[in-house]
Amino acid sequence: MRHRKNRSSSLELSRRDLLRLSTAGLVTSATLPWLESAADAAQQPAARRSCILLWMNGGPSQMDTFDLKPGHENGGSFQEIATSVPGIKISEHLPKVAAMAEHLAIIRSMSTKEGDHGRATHLLRNGYLPQPPVRYPTLGSLVAHELGDPLAELPNFVSIAPFRNFNPAAYGPGFLGSQYAPLIVGQDNNAGAEEGAPEDDLTVADLAPPEGVGSDTVGERIDMLAWLNNRFVSDHAAPPAVGYQTAYERAIKLMRSKAAKVFDLDEEPAEVREAYGRNRFGQGCLLARRLVERGVPFVEVTLGGVNSIGWDTHTGNFETVKDLSGTLDPAWATLMSELDARGLLESTTIVWMGEFGRTPKINQNTGRDHYPAAWTTVLGGGGIRGGQVVGRTSADGTTVEDRKISVPDLLATVCTALGIDPMKQNVSNVGRPIRIVDTDAVPIDEVLL
Amino acid sequence: MGCKASRRGGAPAARVLGPPAAAVALLLAGTCWFAADTHAADNSLDVTCTPAAPAAAPLLSVEELTAHIDHALADAWQRDGTTVAPPADDAEFLRRASLDIIGKIPSVSEVEQFLDDAAPDKRRQLVETLLNRGAYAQHFANTWRNLLLAGAAENVQSQINTPQLDMWLRLRFAVNMPYDRLVSDIVNAPIEAPQQPATPNMRSFIPSPAAFFQANEQKREMIAASTARIFLGVQVGCAQCHDHPFSDWTQRDFWSLAAFFDDPSNGIPPGGSSANAVSIPDSDIVVEPVFLDGTQPDWQTESAKRELLSQWMTSRTNPFFARAAVNRLWDHFLGRGFVHPVDDLDKANPPSHPELLDELARQFAGHGFDLNYLIRAITATRAYQLTSRASSVEDSDLSTFARMPVRRMTADQLFASIVQATGYRQQRRRAQPGVLPDLADAAAAFRARFSDSTVPRTEAETSILQALTLMNGELVSTATDLEESETLAAVADAPFLSDEERIDSLFMATLSRRPDAEERARFVEYVGRDDSPGEHKQALADVFWALLNSAEFALNH
Repeated sequence: MRHRKNRSSSLELSRRDLLRLSTAGLVTSATLPWLESAADAAQQPAARRSCILLWMNGGPSQMDTFDLKPGHENGGSFQEIATSVPGIKISEHLPKVAAMAEHLAIIRSMSTKEGDHGRATHLLRNGYLPQPPVRYPTLGSLVAHELGDPLAELPNFVSIAPFRNFNPAAYGPGFLGSQYAPLIVGQDNNAGAEEGAPEDDLTVADLAPPEGVGSDTVGERIDMLAWLNNRFVSDHAAPPAVGYQTAYERAIKLMRSKAAKVFDLDEEPAEVREAYGRNRFGQGCLLARRLVERGVPFVEVTLGGVNSIGWDTHTGNFETVKDLSGTLDPAWATLMSELDARGLLESTTIVWMGEFGRTPKINQNTGRDHYPAAWTTVLGGGGIRGGQVVGRTSADGTTVEDRKISVPDLLATVCTALGIDPMKQNVSNVGRPIRIVDTDAVPIDEVLL
Repeated sequence: MGCKASRRGGAPAARVLGPPAAAVALLLAGTCWFAADTHAADNSLDVTCTPAAPAAAPLLSVEELTAHIDHALADAWQRDGTTVAPPADDAEFLRRASLDIIGKIPSVSEVEQFLDDAAPDKRRQLVETLLNRGAYAQHFANTWRNLLLAGAAENVQSQINTPQLDMWLRLRFAVNMPYDRLVSDIVNAPIEAPQQPATPNMRSFIPSPAAFFQANEQKREMIAASTARIFLGVQVGCAQCHDHPFSDWTQRDFWSLAAFFDDPSNGIPPGGSSANAVSIPDSDIVVEPVFLDGTQPDWQTESAKRELLSQWMTSRTNPFFARAAVNRLWDHFLGRGFVHPVDDLDKANPPSHPELLDELARQFAGHGFDLNYLIRAITATRAYQLTSRASSVEDSDLSTFARMPVRRMTADQLFASIVQATGYRQQRRRAQPGVLPDLADAAAAFRARFSDSTVPRTEAETSILQALTLMNGELVSTATDLEESETLAAVADAPFLSDEERIDSLFMATLSRRPDAEERARFVEYVGRDDSPGEHKQALADVFWALLNSAEFALNH
């Protein structure tokens, strides 16, 4: 699974991978029974690395989560509480996360320049500002490309309840191509989702055949399809034909696989589901744990996307942040403790971030506005030296006084923690090589194990 | 185009052109085919306004140009010992030409008619018929929309104005507007989208290309980079922040181009010598508008800045314009440009067939940038009419044009082809006050899931989600539903058809060909297993489903 190293040209190699697959595909698609979840990767967790991105849509307030300024007029009404690490204090509304601070590196000195939701979302999630025509891949696609197993039953990148309206390209595979697109789970606001049983909608679209089409019929249809495709591909041996056949084989494998049971959260005990929180984000984190257990290298869960712009607290900041913290806290803490109990926390890097922070000064609507100059992200788990704070902001929270961290620095740190060389180049859609992370990135050494 | 009027009045158009040969040579790695040496225009053309036609370039008819291309490629094949693929059969040609020209597969009756037509020039006639269909304008509008909105195709702002852009482009392709005029119209269009009427409906809807500017966030540097890339094939965008690492473009060149566009968010820099000056961000450098070849605009004409730019761009002496267009159109039909990637006409990235590209560019310009002229010539070439069949991937060296590559369809092509094959009817909503009727609702959703318009169509790019959508999603499910599918009902319920004919019809509806003996035998056997009416129809639905999901259906080959 970890055989893909240091590839100089992604497009060329992805083609080669496909050709290699096709040799197997041509032989097996119609004739052999599908392998059902045989390779239960959970048996050797240490060999594998995964990343879970907890995406805080709208830009979370650093001043009310991880970098409080009690006593200062900018501080607002929240109190600090002690964490499991002496000297580190965070918001009173994140008590369960506080108890796991030994796993977390809190970066209080993020400093960026982009204060527009769409552009900043692209910057944080893709590592670059948008610059058409280059189609930069999102982080999940980059990681799936590096760490994913092209033959895996489950997709290598799953995005749970994304809110893509700010910038759809920030959720796409860009020049890496559709094979690295996320499998989207749960309501997607971009497609006009409606309010519904929020914790029960974490399903894959179109995974099941339409009603009235029985499994015998499905079997017959797929046999005919495989027969047609084998004939066509054998005398049209070209990447689009082979790629098409491969995508179908993987989709059919997923439809028929026991591995698809990963999406059935009813398999979990009620108390576990309760512990994460009976809401979309909580259940999404539970699903993320299940996916990582089965070897999926990148899972992202969005908090604050559906039916609101979550953390974009221009008005009534404190009620909203308290509310969101109440959702975040049990989900995140339970995720980490469950991963830890399974021996998976040391191989699963957790990233907590949004597109920017919020103004230290409280506005006249008791809100906070967009603020990229000084804000916070948090890393934890695999490859990360927890129990520390990186950087410092001024007493009023407006400036970074120590250890300024840029977006490339942050993403290079995440890549390094995952065992990925952030300076690796991929060939882009405009024919130019583009590094996974921009060249001026310096990984945050003290955070890396 | 401002110069048209002056020409009609008999006066020669203002000459703002004529790049110094040295500057052009610097940019063009030695192939400087549009040298400054020019003479009077061929008066038989009523289209272009520049008085310059390239020296010693006899105008070729469509047939002559086709023959020229055939010779040039045949010479290259012979020189390199290239194995050339056999010709495509009629069904293969029909399907390919339909997808490339009108953006969808042919109907059953079109397939039957074409296959049974004995006329020796039926392929040429077909191209003529296709060019005259409304679907041609629609397909080329779709193609250019994807190009103009490039990486920002899903940008919410430009999405709102995409229908206006689509219509704006359709109106122009429908009349085969000369390409130089089309580009001038885009470059000179108002940056702001026109106010749509308060109670909009399709009739009062104002077409506009403003989505192009919105996709570029209405920022001068982004508009400039897109303009240079799309219309000139010049990737000067990298020079926005630093001198270009691979070629001669400097940051100063880039911002001198950007200075042709106004940017409401940036005022006139202090110290600027004129109202047109622009300062390079994070620097003290102030630049004036200068063309990419280093020549200065002629401010005496009192034309607007963008008008001067578009006159320079679309001039017949511009070294990039016709070449970029020809390269793109060749890529559209052959799956790959002479220059690849298609948007990168850089000296570090030389064309595979430089003389041929030059000749096509010269003829295109000489024929008044007539797109249909080029399309007729290209589709008649031997290269375009080669088969895509290949037993080994090793056969696919795309740059020789000795075999037609297999290409993925665009989202628009796939959607239109599914509609064509199945008779799927889009739900049309009534126009409501204050709400633009979204006639392309289903198409838009489908497009969103299948859009990857900037990835070369000859690359492998199908996602699991796309496969699931086609297998289990609403579109194909409805199309293969016994109650709802129009095509299926027509095939299943016609009392005079045998099972052989039913299978033949389903094949022609989806794969645009008749089945071979083995296929016919297998599927006739399948539908004949149980002849109770319900089961029989269900079996036909199963066959239809398999055909609609097949690689042969979903790919352009």
